[in-house]
Amino acid sequence: MSAGKTSLVLWLIGPAFLGVAAYLALASPPADIPIGEMKIIARDAIRGGAWREAKVDARGVVAGSDRPCSECHKLFTTPPGENKALVQHKDIVMNHGMNTRCLNCHDGDDRDKLVLHDGTTVSYSDTPRLCSQCHGTVYRDWQLGTHGKTLGSWDVKDEKHRRLTCNECHEPHSPAYRPMQPLPAPTTLRMGDQSLPKQHHGKESPLRRRSASPHDAPAHEDAPKNNEPAKHAPTEAPKEPAKPAEKGGGQ
Amino acid sequence: MNIRIHEGGSAGAEVTRRSFLRTGTAVAGGMAALAAALSPLKDLNPAEEFSIEKFIQKHYKEMTPDDMKGALDRIAREVEHRYKVRPEVRDMRPKAGVEFVYALNLSRCIGCRKCVYACVEENNQSRAPEIQYIRVIEMPRGTLDLEKGNHHYERPTVPDADHFYMPVQCHQCANPPCVKVCPVEATWQDDDGITVIDYDWCIGCRYCEAACPYWARRFNFVKPEIPEADINKDMGYLSNRPRPKGVVEKCHFCLHRTREGRLPACLEACPTGARKFGNVLDPKSEVSQILKTKRVFVLKEEVGTLPRFFYYFDERYPRSLDPEAKQVALSLGYTPGAGGWTPPAGDPARAEVSR
Repeated sequence: MSAGKTSLVLWLIGPAFLGVAAYLALASPPADIPIGEMKIIARDAIRGGAWREAKVDARGVVAGSDRPCSECHKLFTTPPGENKALVQHKDIVMNHGMNTRCLNCHDGDDRDKLVLHDGTTVSYSDTPRLCSQCHGTVYRDWQLGTHGKTLGSWDVKDEKHRRLTCNECHEPHSPAYRPMQPLPAPTTLRMGDQSLPKQHHGKESPLRRRSASPHDAPAHEDAPKNNEPAKHAPTEAPKEPAKPAEKGGGQ
Repeated sequence: MNIRIHEGGSAGAEVTRRSFLRTGTAVAGGMAALAAALSPLKDLNPAEEFSIEKFIQKHYKEMTPDDMKGALDRIAREVEHRYKVRPEVRDMRPKAGVEFVYALNLSRCIGCRKCVYACVEENNQSRAPEIQYIRVIEMPRGTLDLEKGNHHYERPTVPDADHFYMPVQCHQCANPPCVKVCPVEATWQDDDGITVIDYDWCIGCRYCEAACPYWARRFNFVKPEIPEADINKDMGYLSNRPRPKGVVEKCHFCLHRTREGRLPACLEACPTGARKFGNVLDPKSEVSQILKTKRVFVLKEEVGTLPRFFYYFDERYPRSLDPEAKQVALSLGYTPGAGGWTPPAGDPARAEVSR
């Protein structure tokens, strides 16, 4: 290379770098990563603990009263052979398969107790003994710790280790789990988000990077199904024969 | 001008007006190039991003108890400065004789995503952009091919009758590919089986994220955003202390809880009891019972990662262990033996039955 050309290149390098530096220092766009919106999740929706509050004694069943069941049932009796239309306890929805009689589980003589098939009475806090009469395989799983929820500690030797009883998850009168509303879908950077604009600074938005993939096709195909007459609506659900909570349970 | 400079090997050349300007421009250009290269630093906030203490901090495994105390103090100070709450930061070590295992009952999972958000809250994950350790994949019936799954599902209610739900998080592999690829040993497997990350040592190369076959690792592209009111003050050095920008994070089985006997947050939030956690070295533990009596499987067994995260569909015992099935078999005239049950002579099942 001749001396003239070399000096020309040297003349140009300096200003070129100066221009780049000035651009980066003054006019460069800030590192712009789409962060999406912050979701507000109600703390109640993700609280730990038992799924429902179990009755530990036979009190306060009727709204506004804190009295034991026996107090009213001294006067009001239930004929064992027939199911009359309920006058009280109208909030109870019975959906427990063929087990439709109150006195199958509630003791007719001592209203503060539950009753086993052989006439033994058990307290309200001792439901596993009662339920195990029909749900033997689930009861066995529960004893081993493979069915149901455990709280307190993972260590079975720890005194805080507590296995929830049947009615701390299942409503005894309609034990199957109701379908519930799922919490919102992720909008994590690599996970994509269906609701965000397709374009971001003139390019495909990185938040949508995966959204065009065939993964999501099933969601769209299924979407109309959900708008059909409430097949999965909570009120209808317990009538469905397939009860998720009862699978594997021996009847 | 009478200055002499060395230029390009021709020692002692006169400095002319031309050569001075030429050299000067080249030097100015070089300085400008340096400035351009350093210009991203102008986005840094020195008060928050950089501290001498963090810079000279040793690797986690080389820290003395005093070093660790200093590091925990520094982290507490940084959190207090940023989020206006004073956290309790601890360094939880693994317990002897404990190896953690997770088991997830696919028959019970209904896909409600409560575990996802309980995890976000417990582990101080970024809310915007979202970082979540658990992905709940909605799988169509009749397949276990994850490519057919969808984690964006939005439904009025779950579960959907035509799908099952498969939450995926870090599997705490016994043969973890993410640990092997880390060039700086910022991530390793602890004695209780939990693969941990030292966020102060991570250089953000994201090799581990690429190596993980379960897509369990997450990268902080920007500084995590957490509302001050939602900060979980119970923090562990290797677990849920707020992460800086540019590091990788993932599920750690809530080690700040589980190493002191408590249960992971995702398990406590699960409404159906589909999640089970415990010590696999204890034969009486719930997970040991599941491994013994349920038909468990691991995800992507073929990649050889040996996960400590097991899935199962909630079935009855294997028939060989089922006392009721034993009674039935005996009453049908089956005879027990070392190789299983032998049907009585003339039984059509005789040719096939082994168990």
